[in-house]
Amino acid sequence: MAVKPNEDARPFEHPLYDYLERVPGLDFAITSVDKLLTWGATNSMWIFPMATSCCGIEFMAAAASRVDLDRMGSIVRGTPRQCDVMVVAGTITVKMAPRVKRLWDQMPEPKWCVAMGSCAISGDFYRDIYSVIPGIDVAIPVDVYVPGCPPNPEQLMAGLIKLQEKVRLKRAGLPVPKEERPEALERTITPRIGRIEERLKASAQDPVSRAQLESAQRLYVRVPVEGGVPEVKPAKPTGGAE
Amino acid sequence: MAVAVEAVATAPVVPTKAFVPDPYLDLDTYEADADLMTLSLGPQHPSTHGVFRVVLYLDGEIIVKAVPHCGYLHRGVEKLCEKLAYSNITPVLDKNDYVAPMLNEQAANMAFEKLMGIEVPLRAKYLRTLLAELQRIASHLLWLGTFAMDLGGALGGGTSVFMYCFRERELILDVFEELTGCRFHYNTHHVGGNRHDIPPGWPKLVHEALDTIESRLEAYLVMLEHPIFVDRTKGVGTIDAQLALELGLSGPLLRASGVDHDLRRDAPYGVYDLLDVQVAVDGGGDCLARYKVRLAEIRESIRLSRLLIDNVPQGPLSATKPLNMVTQFKAAAGQVYVGIESPRGELGTWLIASKDKPTNPYRFKIRPPSLHAAAAVPYVFPGHTLSDAVAILGSLDPIMGEVDR
Repeated sequence: MAVKPNEDARPFEHPLYDYLERVPGLDFAITSVDKLLTWGATNSMWIFPMATSCCGIEFMAAAASRVDLDRMGSIVRGTPRQCDVMVVAGTITVKMAPRVKRLWDQMPEPKWCVAMGSCAISGDFYRDIYSVIPGIDVAIPVDVYVPGCPPNPEQLMAGLIKLQEKVRLKRAGLPVPKEERPEALERTITPRIGRIEERLKASAQDPVSRAQLESAQRLYVRVPVEGGVPEVKPAKPTGGAE
Repeated sequence: MAVAVEAVATAPVVPTKAFVPDPYLDLDTYEADADLMTLSLGPQHPSTHGVFRVVLYLDGEIIVKAVPHCGYLHRGVEKLCEKLAYSNITPVLDKNDYVAPMLNEQAANMAFEKLMGIEVPLRAKYLRTLLAELQRIASHLLWLGTFAMDLGGALGGGTSVFMYCFRERELILDVFEELTGCRFHYNTHHVGGNRHDIPPGWPKLVHEALDTIESRLEAYLVMLEHPIFVDRTKGVGTIDAQLALELGLSGPLLRASGVDHDLRRDAPYGVYDLLDVQVAVDGGGDCLARYKVRLAEIRESIRLSRLLIDNVPQGPLSATKPLNMVTQFKAAAGQVYVGIESPRGELGTWLIASKDKPTNPYRFKIRPPSLHAAAAVPYVFPGHTLSDAVAILGSLDPIMGEVDR
């Protein structure tokens, strides 16, 4: 029995069928596994919210009723082991950064990171405070920066759409444009590593500050300090029996 | 808010050893054959509302000791404010209690005005009071949503109430965005008055938002009148009046412990002396009492906001000239303390000015209500199960930006 041609079948309005080629007359479709996996990877990006402060509230607003990240398949999960994207929302302090790094290491590959808000991007006006690290990209690699203080939920969604594009390019083997920190385009600042070096030199004689800065320096995995930590002369003992 | 449904009778969970909660419990003196387990809750945990960390020592499922750790969001705000001029401090303080930024701005600027002897015009006072009440509604709505989410799947799928609360909170944020241009971090208060005047059509917008919130609140609170909700909150995390006063709790936590104290009525600022603030008090001291008090405050804030928006007088909005240089505001040497009623309690600002630096504060101390709420953890957690700990922490509502500063 001959199969009747299905000529008046209209394509479904579903993103999956953008990738499928329907063959006229036959009720099956062909695609490549790669395209199917790319569709799945870009439309089910589960988010691990590394929400520490104000941006976390806007992140909650983005996940809640009005903007609703579920529309693009992004479910918020409380555990790093099931997630693809880490959204770093809020100020990251020296005390918190090792925890962020550890949670990032617990996420399975492939994984991406979105830095949300100016604190996560550069430290904002807390950048010169002793306890705040100047941007999360000194500890973990960042794929998309979403500037704002805090960014609107719509801006976060735009950032995630941008991330989807990057994932598509990466899976297709095409060159992915390198992401620049937004502030670097606007003004020239003192390089943060240089500032750390200056601080190290200034406080090399103080053992407590030195220990703090060394622990902070261990986070700088991407751009190590050139020349290492300056030498410290042992302080002369003061007081005591004399 | 009458929760009429009685609690479901369940078998009581009895700890291995009867004890009174002791925050300084020496674990070596605890029962020798007890199999204690150490559990670190936080700093990244969905129900700690930020980066709060509690180390719990568990005997089975019962907490015998809880040790809170803070400092994961320490941003050195007080030190930063000492370096900034008076006009530049306001946007920094927005990030302090990020659920109610309006109140932070107001507290600091009231301290500056008191130190400099500036009298705020009546229109600005009305507007500040109105913004504070609207912010209180938004803050309590966020609390209700996250609290219901903490209590979990028993409440109609866990995130249902959260979704409803955020839908209503967005209405308040729309009102603020119309006025100041920002959803939060408004920077609308400055020394001597307010920066943004009421745009045309804004009172109508406020009325619409308030009407919508009031009508919808009744609709979805039915979901919380549920035996499981009562069972999980009634008698859980009881703080009696004595302990609450010793810990320095304030705001809804203190009123839920039966102490009738509200700065809006007892030490009025702004135009609260012209209003008749009805203070909600509940003697229960448990999570259910805190829930009832906060809901009553939402309704009271809606009533006060309606009164205020209809009666804003005409006149100037600021007693000072517009800012043209950051060193414009200078203070004489002295010190002041100003406390206002934030959604979480008494938000105090202690400001010392020296004559060496007339444009900067010499010392800027913030008295955050959340710090005292977080300090209640070792007193309240012991004796409860692990699942109750999440409910108690949700009902205490500490904001870590305020605790760590």
